[in-house]
Amino acid sequence: MKFEWFVATRYLLSRRKQSFISIISIISIVGVGLGVATVILVIAVLDGVEHGLRDRFLANEAHIALRLVGNSFFGNYQDRIERITDVEGVVAASPVVYSQMGVFQTGNEGITDTIYVKGIDISQEDKVTGFSQFVNGSIDFQSSPLIAEAELREGETITGGIVLGSRLAQRHGLTRGDVLRLVVKLVEDPGSSGSPMLLVDFSNFVVIGVYESELAVYDNRIGFIDYKTAQKLYNQVGNVNVILVRLEDAEMAPTLSPILEEAAFSFLEMPISTTWLETHSALFAALKMEKVATVIIEALIILVAAFNIASTLIMTVMEKTRDVGTLRTLGATRGNIMRIFIIQGTVIGMLGTIAGTVLGLGLCWLLSTNIIRPSPWIAIATIVILILCQIIIAFRRLIPFPKALKISMAIFWTITVCFVLYCLVKPISLKELGFSEIYQMNQLPIKVNWFFVGFINLLSLFICWLATIYPALQASKLNPIEALQYE
Amino acid sequence: MENLIRIDNLHKSFYDGDAELKVLKGVNLDIHKSEILTIMGASGVGKSTLLHLIGTLDRPTDGNIFYEDQDITAFSDIELARFRNDAIGFVFQFHQLLPEFTALENVAMARIIRQSKKNKTDNETTLDRKDAYETAEHLLDSVGLSERLSHFPSQLSGGERQRVAIARALINQPKVVLADEPTGNIDDKTSEAVLDVLNDVNERLNQTFIIVTHDSRISERAKRTVHIVDGRIAE
Repeated sequence: MKFEWFVATRYLLSRRKQSFISIISIISIVGVGLGVATVILVIAVLDGVEHGLRDRFLANEAHIALRLVGNSFFGNYQDRIERITDVEGVVAASPVVYSQMGVFQTGNEGITDTIYVKGIDISQEDKVTGFSQFVNGSIDFQSSPLIAEAELREGETITGGIVLGSRLAQRHGLTRGDVLRLVVKLVEDPGSSGSPMLLVDFSNFVVIGVYESELAVYDNRIGFIDYKTAQKLYNQVGNVNVILVRLEDAEMAPTLSPILEEAAFSFLEMPISTTWLETHSALFAALKMEKVATVIIEALIILVAAFNIASTLIMTVMEKTRDVGTLRTLGATRGNIMRIFIIQGTVIGMLGTIAGTVLGLGLCWLLSTNIIRPSPWIAIATIVILILCQIIIAFRRLIPFPKALKISMAIFWTITVCFVLYCLVKPISLKELGFSEIYQMNQLPIKVNWFFVGFINLLSLFICWLATIYPALQASKLNPIEALQYE
Repeated sequence: MENLIRIDNLHKSFYDGDAELKVLKGVNLDIHKSEILTIMGASGVGKSTLLHLIGTLDRPTDGNIFYEDQDITAFSDIELARFRNDAIGFVFQFHQLLPEFTALENVAMARIIRQSKKNKTDNETTLDRKDAYETAEHLLDSVGLSERLSHFPSQLSGGERQRVAIARALINQPKVVLADEPTGNIDDKTSEAVLDVLNDVNERLNQTFIIVTHDSRISERAKRTVHIVDGRIAE
């Protein structure tokens, strides 16, 4: 051990006389530790939310949507899809007729709701969005027995079956077998009087299934019908207006979308592509903002803890002024003195950072591990017993207090705190809190970002190191003669 | 007698704002090898200031100090620290032991500082540390403290502390030991014992001592005594 380490570690560990400073060092360590632990935990939650949402989006959403400007229809889509699937990195592509329709409920005078209707080719759609695994009920749009039953019951023409988003169905009180009347389009009628009129073009659909993706965005607003039915409704037989694409790697979407535009369309057709990242850009941008804000706030927390280190060191320097004088007479240089205090502060920062990292990662583990925990009462009982033991020991302090007992008590306390945390910290159920609908997740998601853990460790060490410079510089500038005479 | 230190026309002034306080006004003094020199004088006359200048803890306003013809007033701060470590031992009135370290560690400290100045492997450092502690143990033994190696300063008596301080001053076999009122803070009987140690070291090791003191018993036992009067030496 070098001379500076020899002196610095002794100052750090020594508890005689200046136990006050020892307590301040412990407070500094705890301060840094809590800062580091919170930042690791908060970022793990934010990352968890982001990844949870991504996974959900990606589970039932195409990576790229290709269309023409103005949402206009185009033909030859099978050729185009073939050309798209030839591109490397593309898994599948499917044709879609995408439109908005109005919900017309009997008894109401007007349109009560608008919904997005996707006309899909199930065989191809499944490869792109995994549609059928989210459907509860039938996906046979043309010949589900429910259609014939409804036709008989209502005595009206039924265009086909529709699969409705679960929340949408709930909102309109629709279950399987019910008929939904949709306003498909408005038709201009020249009329007999010469002034044109708008006629409403209705279609009746039977609810054959319910779509439940657990993503409110879709479950609230979307219905699925057969693409051929949709083509007929809009007089666009043989045409579609969207091609959805699934990629091997979702992250490649921004790179591949211009290539796919070129493969499927000519420049003059004016194609537009939207990636899944663009569709949810506002959400991802908000999450990113949140993370940046968190890092800044946490850096400030660590900064506050670093001020603690600085004040601890300033006090240590004041208390050790005579020692500094003595060491200078023994031949220590200003550099030696400076390093002693830098080491002392940096060790405090290091201990705090390590403790914080362990605590943060431990909490992340506890919050993401579903094991049945012992009852919280056991934890409380353990703490009470331990405090009683500590009080008894404190009363018997008149007898010399062996060092080994102190160390074993410290270890025992650490284990107890870990045990209590283990009992009390459980995964947070968003369902119980009533947030599951908003966040579309059942449990608070945790994802430890190891790169970030490393980064925050380095940042914390750097800030703590920086905090040592001023006190260390002051110590090194002490005049040895004045220092020796310092009372 | 061979000359160890030559002090040549040494001036030292202190400044309080614009006011100049001239403490040393041209001190000339030769200090010989192996002698015990006591410097006496009234309070505030500049005895300690002179000792600090000889000990390189402060720089003179004017004049030179030569150690074996080497002018130390021209040294840089780092060179001075190294020189103090190698060539000078200090004994202070208030012992100035480091409270967090044992007697053995206090004595070994200057040797540890010296050793840390070179780039070394762990193995060499361990050997160095062993050497430092062995030397320190030997020195503590020679001042009669072989039973007190692992005691902290707070567990030692005044006289014992001062003997530890003497042992500490000797660890790097310095050219000179500077003592500032070494018996100023201990009772008469203990003072005698401390002085016995100083004399013994002087005789056994031919160690040079410069002692600043009020204590006439020390000057009686010294080989030479000089007085400072009005900032100058009066032998």
